Amino acid sequence: MTGAYPSVVVRVVCALLSPFILMFGLYVVAHGHYGPGGGFAGGVFLAVAAILPRLTLAEELSYRLVPVSMGPLMGGIGMLLFLAAGTVPMLFGGAFLDYAAVEVAAIEAARMRYLGILVVEVGVGLAVFGAMVTIFDVLMGRSER
Amino acid sequence: MIVPLDLIIFAVLILTAVLAINVKDLLAAVALLAAYSLFASLLFAGVNAVDVSLVEAALGAGLTGVLFIGAILATSRHSMARRNLRRRYTMLPLIGAFLALMVYASIDLPDRGDPEAPAHLGVSQTYLRDSLDDTQTPNVVTSLLADYRSQDTLGETLVIVTAALAATLVLIRRRDDEYQGHAPSRELPLPDGDEVVADPYADDVRSADRRRRPR
Repeated sequence: MTGAYPSVVVRVVCALLSPFILMFGLYVVAHGHYGPGGGFAGGVFLAVAAILPRLTLAEELSYRLVPVSMGPLMGGIGMLLFLAAGTVPMLFGGAFLDYAAVEVAAIEAARMRYLGILVVEVGVGLAVFGAMVTIFDVLMGRSER
Repeated sequence: MIVPLDLIIFAVLILTAVLAINVKDLLAAVALLAAYSLFASLLFAGVNAVDVSLVEAALGAGLTGVLFIGAILATSRHSMARRNLRRRYTMLPLIGAFLALMVYASIDLPDRGDPEAPAHLGVSQTYLRDSLDDTQTPNVVTSLLADYRSQDTLGETLVIVTAALAATLVLIRRRDDEYQGHAPSRELPLPDGDEVVADPYADDVRSADRRRRPR
């Protein structure tokens, strides 16, 4: 049901748009400290950038850009990243998800929390991206067996 | 917040919602729902909730519509007319009563932005005051979501990943069901799981169902 859309206009516009959507998604994930957005909205943009070629371009092309295995893989990596951000402070004697407890030379506690937020945002972004791509693939009958 | 603009957006919201329920073509209903989400995100942006607005625009107007379209491509494009009018007439007073209850409850709510509101007297003052010093993050929403309340975010992310896994478990077609004789004999065997039999852009999307029809 996916595959090359008959209209050239639709194919070209979607092929041109999707890298820019990808770029904007990365920007939203990385820029969550200063602007609107963060991991969740950014992950959704990344997923849209992966799904748009699947709806409109030829299958062998779109599934080579983002393979089916990418969904579960990225979802798992993102989730593990979040859990790592939670458990690493415990190794330093802090509470779960208390980034300030991590002691690295030359990085103050507030800066550590800033970096912890960044790790969590990236984790959430990857997890949302993976989950959405997985749902779409499985809905379209394309899934890893 | 501009009151006339808000009133117009509210009117458009109700209009698109009613149209989305009543329209027969499901693709049109999906487009109307996307329009609904877009206007809702305008409403959120109007009260300076930019983070919520961005998520609503990306998720409600973008991705949800795509997933709905995927579901339509996999099933049927036309909604079934509901013949049971009696059920509709018993539901209407219930909906009206629920609406009245919600309006009655909303009378007691504090005004938006009221500094004496209970939500603005607790820990939120501490968060707003200390966020920049504690976390070097100017956007308080981000520091709240990913630092002060990060366990909630962990739970939400787990919910999303679990939803993807549950969708996989429900929808996946196993190879041994189709190819090794475990399938019920009345089903047509699929030549290859990756091959799409139906013409995707035929007028009737239900033609995709033909390959699963009994002999």
